[in-house]
Amino acid sequence: MASKSSRRDFVKRSATAIAGAFVLPNIIPSSALGLGGKTPPSNRIVMGQIGTGSQGTSNMRDFIKLKDQVQFVALCDVDAKRLAATKEMVAKTNNNKNCRTYGDFREFLEKEKLDAVSIALPDHWHGIIYTETVNKKVDVYGEKPICRTINDGKVIVSAVKKNNIIWQTGSWQRSQENFHRGAELVINGRVGKIKLIEIGLPDGSRGIGTPPVQEVPKELNWEMWLGPSLKVPFRGVYHWDWRWILDYSGGQLTDWAGHHIDIANWGAGLEHTGPFEITGEGFYPNEGIFNVPVEYDILCKYANGIEMRVANASRYPMGMGTTWYGDLGWLHVDRGGKISASDPKILEEKIGDKEIHLYKSENHWQNFIDSVRSRKPAIAPIEVAFRAISVALLGEIAMTTGQKIKWDPEKEEIIGNPVASRLLSRPYRKPWTLPTV
Amino acid sequence: MKKQYIILLIVAGLLSLFAACKKEATYRTLIITGQNNHKWKESSPILKTILDETGLFTCDIAISPEKGGDMNKFNPDFSRYKLVVLDYNGESWSEKTKTAFVNYVSSGGGVVIYHASDNSFPNWKEYNEICGLGGWGNRNEKSGPYIYYKRNELITDTSAGIAGYHNKRHEYEVRIRNTAHPITKGLPVRWMHGNDELYSKLRGPEKNMEILATAYSDTAGKGTGRDEPLLMTIKYGNGRIFHTAMGHADSLGGPAMHCAGFIVTLQRGAEWAVTGNVTQAMPFDFPNAAGVVLRPDFKAPTLNDDITNIVNYDLGKSTKYYTDFQANIRKASGDSLKLLTYEKMMVDILKNPKASVEAKKLMLRELSWMGSGYCVPVVKELVSNADLKDEADFALARLQPTK
Repeated sequence: MASKSSRRDFVKRSATAIAGAFVLPNIIPSSALGLGGKTPPSNRIVMGQIGTGSQGTSNMRDFIKLKDQVQFVALCDVDAKRLAATKEMVAKTNNNKNCRTYGDFREFLEKEKLDAVSIALPDHWHGIIYTETVNKKVDVYGEKPICRTINDGKVIVSAVKKNNIIWQTGSWQRSQENFHRGAELVINGRVGKIKLIEIGLPDGSRGIGTPPVQEVPKELNWEMWLGPSLKVPFRGVYHWDWRWILDYSGGQLTDWAGHHIDIANWGAGLEHTGPFEITGEGFYPNEGIFNVPVEYDILCKYANGIEMRVANASRYPMGMGTTWYGDLGWLHVDRGGKISASDPKILEEKIGDKEIHLYKSENHWQNFIDSVRSRKPAIAPIEVAFRAISVALLGEIAMTTGQKIKWDPEKEEIIGNPVASRLLSRPYRKPWTLPTV
Repeated sequence: MKKQYIILLIVAGLLSLFAACKKEATYRTLIITGQNNHKWKESSPILKTILDETGLFTCDIAISPEKGGDMNKFNPDFSRYKLVVLDYNGESWSEKTKTAFVNYVSSGGGVVIYHASDNSFPNWKEYNEICGLGGWGNRNEKSGPYIYYKRNELITDTSAGIAGYHNKRHEYEVRIRNTAHPITKGLPVRWMHGNDELYSKLRGPEKNMEILATAYSDTAGKGTGRDEPLLMTIKYGNGRIFHTAMGHADSLGGPAMHCAGFIVTLQRGAEWAVTGNVTQAMPFDFPNAAGVVLRPDFKAPTLNDDITNIVNYDLGKSTKYYTDFQANIRKASGDSLKLLTYEKMMVDILKNPKASVEAKKLMLRELSWMGSGYCVPVVKELVSNADLKDEADFALARLQPTK
């Protein structure tokens, strides 16, 4: 039933629907007709959403806030309750009662003709769904971390490049003033030559033991939720809490890599490279279903002499955020608009015309929509996101093996360690396979 | 091919035999008890078990006269010991014994102050300096300041008020404040402690004292709203003192004494008090913020415990032996002989008809990354086992990737 839609189709359809619903033309919302200085529907970006959980719907709300620039027409989730609730949200806030819903992303991708798709899924699904979506040549707003494993990430990155689509990673801190300002001061040498970067990410979670096996709720397609990961009995642990289980996530370390590691790379000019050596120590729950490290402490060395330490915030006096230490001082940024420096005068510094001016965006979702229109890259492109998550994933491998990992940042391969190299991928459960580009 | 693994396994076996034969001299230790408002008859033998388990200490227990008894008869010969552990909260000792104890400490003897021992002897100046902080016994602002953390700030508070308080016993999170000290180095900075009293409002001379760990006393549970010091070191003359305010003894010790965090910090603190250093390896079952870890018999799980319990693992049962085994593997990184012995243990589980399907699944996940050619034939056989096919495929995809 779900008809193929494009921007033009949607205009036609919604105009008919509205005309049918309201007899008097004077109560037709002006936005639908492109009046009153608002974006005409024909210029709206027609979008779909895959994954309608907390982050997915949060992104949708941010897109919808962009006043009539975005029209959601299709939703996909393995949880029918969430689908229904999100359809309702689109009806209430995005002026479309007829949002199409899908339980299977393959059908969604087959039937929908969209300008852009926003995707927010547990990490174990990223390899397949990001690649398949990008292979449809649709622009994507994709949540970080962009991959659960480095091999998944490589495929996604090459798919984005090959299909030449616009990609925006959900690393929204890039579009915040303090992070932009901090990174720009640092990359222009205001704290001198960078020696060390300390990155504080959240501590892990309290365990919940091993909840009993229970019946799968009827709204949930558990088999599809698991997808390529190993089959396990349903224990009521899925939405949100998947991030504490290694099959689906690397915990706070990988969850937040796309924020503070990404910002660290931005300021230190490491966006297009990686470390050559990684060591790490993790503290894992002793008991229960949650098995991601609750504490982690990773040290990465870069060819230009920079050392990057990534650890849970409790292990630092500075706590959360990114701190760059240069030979002239330090600069720290964190959420809540926080920015501080060893000398407050650093923060007053002007960046000259001939210095580096980092890409500026004031709204992460607007930036994506602008890029979809202009075809210019968005502020958080895929290859940069991949460099950020690679640090965390290599740290995870160092912690799992207890070994010092040697990494070739050019070829993006582990050097001389076939055992650790196995952890660059998580084999997919049949019949799922990582798509080819 | 197979022969090579067998030879390696024999070598590994011999090496572990050698390791087991190594014996070290032990530190003579005296545990002092006999009077306490706590169950000392439970706690003192447990303290001995905990310290003996390290293989570093040989403990005697000195029991004082009962309350009202003739304290002049209590004259332990401290000079024979490297470590004195106080599990005592009672009547004053004789002047002679007090002097002997102070001389013992100031001339370099090691001391552990355990839980309510910091309640004892409120009027003995030197003892309070040895403890650093104390509580109850009419201690007040004259005893010294309160000392605690407010978030990351160390507060020395001289305001007037009583010393010593605890709210209802509960599990709480301990926060390491000094990650560089030999006792706490390498520990997770946050860990859950078993149900215990959270000593609060301690005050004292706090001379030459360093706070190693605190716990937040939550106002929601009628706590103080302060991060209260729980693990301290003190230097007195040439003596080193480790003070743990934790470990309230219930019958059979209770969760506070069975907590792996309490046990391990006590063992490490005791060694530091004797030598100024800690040689004990960090055990794999040390708790972290994920939850409390109790040791039923005060001992860390052995590899044998791990394997026995993994064989019987089933859905819903404790996963702690598996995580302990994983930690062993991680720790053995680079030691191919040791790793091969572990691999053999896992292969034996895969071959064991009595081992559960769930146990075998765990083994296949682990072998997927750390296995050598040794496990491959057994893993391949399991591909035809309907219950284990997915996990066997998973393991083989990593062990024998197709190009």
